[in-house]
Amino acid sequence: MKNRLKVLRAERDWSQQDLADALAVSRQSVNAIETGKYDPSLPLAFRISDVFEMPIEAIFSRD
Amino acid sequence: MVEVEINAESRLNPPLLWGIAFVVAMFGAGIFARWVDLNSFWSMAIMIPPMLLLFPMVKSGQRRQAAVCGNVSPAINAYNRRMLIWSFAYVAALFGAISIHDAIKPTGPLLWLIAILPALPILYFVWALGRYLVEETDEYIRMKQVSAALFATGVLLVLATVWGFLETFGVVIHVPTWAAVPVWAIGLGLGHFYNKVRGV
Repeated sequence: MKNRLKVLRAERDWSQQDLADALAVSRQSVNAIETGKYDPSLPLAFRISDVFEMPIEAIFSRD
Repeated sequence: MVEVEINAESRLNPPLLWGIAFVVAMFGAGIFARWVDLNSFWSMAIMIPPMLLLFPMVKSGQRRQAAVCGNVSPAINAYNRRMLIWSFAYVAALFGAISIHDAIKPTGPLLWLIAILPALPILYFVWALGRYLVEETDEYIRMKQVSAALFATGVLLVLATVWGFLETFGVVIHVPTWAAVPVWAIGLGLGHFYNKVRGV
């Protein structure tokens, strides 16, 4: 799965730690999702969607 | 920038070095006890200094997690605290059981009770492993732990099966079944290493 996390984060001038704090996960998790090492669960994907105030499909897409 | 920092920090692994120091010190103490033929009391007593290495190992582990993950999860803190509790409880229980057994040579139900005593901290260890997976709220970290635990279980099943048949046919010596836990723990370490190798 591809995602636009890094771009969306950069647009808001957020560090990985800022996003991690907003999602209540570790910076390592944000890094793993951004680099495609890990696909988040649906609940976490919804949390990401809430944080960026965007629909899930605007953040994540199929490979 | 952040990813560069993570990679730079990953190269240094003080908890691993403390862990190696702990294992070397424990083996060294055990070999020394056999070499000078110490009695059971002193054999257990010389295990205490190597056990103290667990404190800096856990502390450096927490510092490393804070550096790599950005924070230390409360679940990891609880897990580390429980690991220290069971480790020292295990040494105390084993020491107590051996001392009582040597002193009064119990039989019947008391012997059962004394024999099961060292197993109780290990049962607490197994419970603590389960609690950690329940309490860890970071799903990525939890996935890595579960993956390493499955790897460890695979290592244990393979070794137990192969060793069991080798033992049945008299090729190797008998290994007590309590060895399952240390073998599993080594497998857990290998599982984390495998996670790292495959980039998880």
